[in-house]
Parts: sequence; structure tokens; C-alpha cells
Amino acid sequence: MTGKQLLIAVLLGAAALIQFLCVLGVWLMPHVYDRLHFLTPATSVAPWLVAGAVWTREAMAHQGIVALLVAVFMLVFQPVLTHATIRAARAHQLGDWRPRPGETVHRRSPA
Amino acid sequence: MNEWLWTGAAMVGLLVPCALLAMRGAIVDRLLGFELGSAITSLALVVLAEGFDRSVYFDLALVFTAMQYGATLMIVRFLERGVTP
Repeated sequence: MTGKQLLIAVLLGAAALIQFLCVLGVWLMPHVYDRLHFLTPATSVAPWLVAGAVWTREAMAHQGIVALLVAVFMLVFQPVLTHATIRAARAHQLGDWRPRPGETVHRRSPA
Repeated sequence: MNEWLWTGAAMVGLLVPCALLAMRGAIVDRLLGFELGSAITSLALVVLAEGFDRSVYFDLALVFTAMQYGATLMIVRFLERGVTP
């Protein structure tokens, strides 16, 4: 096994491991707001590991460029989707996503 | 089987718990299963395209990624407005 093959195997293994841990986190977390945190590594770390593996093999070929585009697309647009999902979850739960009267975002520390 | 196909097979296997998530629980939890499954599918398509050495399959991964974003956003907007199946 050459160094390049070893690097590809490590990158792909890390990507698969991250996705496995994300699935595990979404399964095990008790609440939707906790579960949403586990979407982020699957959409902003794993794609770059896969793109890195493809670039190690193909570099500036069609495959490498498209893998990079997929990673960039997911990195840019997934936070928007996560924000929209949180809004929808809150609206579904409370009827409106905006803060209710008297509701504060930050809890005051005890005096 | 090379390392690409093994990784692709592992990612396809991870779609099973995502599908189970998308079929049970509250509707927001099901949406999370769908979102996670879509993200995993995008990467599985990239990895399998490289594993099968078919560069044209990469375009499928890119189109799927763009379309799953639009589809999920549409579902989320419906959910926010209280429209549920």
C-alpha cells in the first residue's frame, strides 16, 4: 500500500466514522434541538474528508472538482437548512418561532 | 472491493437507521432523519462514483445535493406554516 492509498483510506475511514457518530448522536439525543447539532459534522466535516480523498487520487480532474463543489455546497447551504429546521421545530412546538413575551434567550447568572 | 466501495457500502448501510428515524416519532424528528439521510446519500454517491471509476456519476451526486437542499427547504417551510401530512 502506497502513502497515497493509505491517506485515501484514512480520509474515507474518518468520513465514514464521523457519519456513523452523527447517526448515533441523532438516535441517542433526547430532544430535537440536541439532535440538530449532530447534523453539522455530517455536512461540514465529512464532505471535506471525502473531497480530500478524491483530490488525493484525481486532483484537478472532473471528479475532484465536482467532489469539491459538493463539499462547498453542503458547507454553505446546510447551516441555512439547520436554521430553518430549528425555526420550523419551534413554530411546530409553540405556534410561532419568535420569542414569546417575557422569554429571554440568555439566563441571568445567580447573584 | 477497494476502499472506496467499502466506504460507500458503509454509508449505504448508515441509511438504514436514517430511514428508521424518518419513519417514527414526531414529525420534526422524522425530518431530521430525512436530512441526515440526504447528506449521507450525497457523500455515498461521490464515494461510489469514484469506486466504480465512473466520472459521470459525480454529476448525479452534485445534482442530488442541490435538489435535496431545495426539497428539504420546501418541507421545512410547509412544516413551519403548520402544513403537516
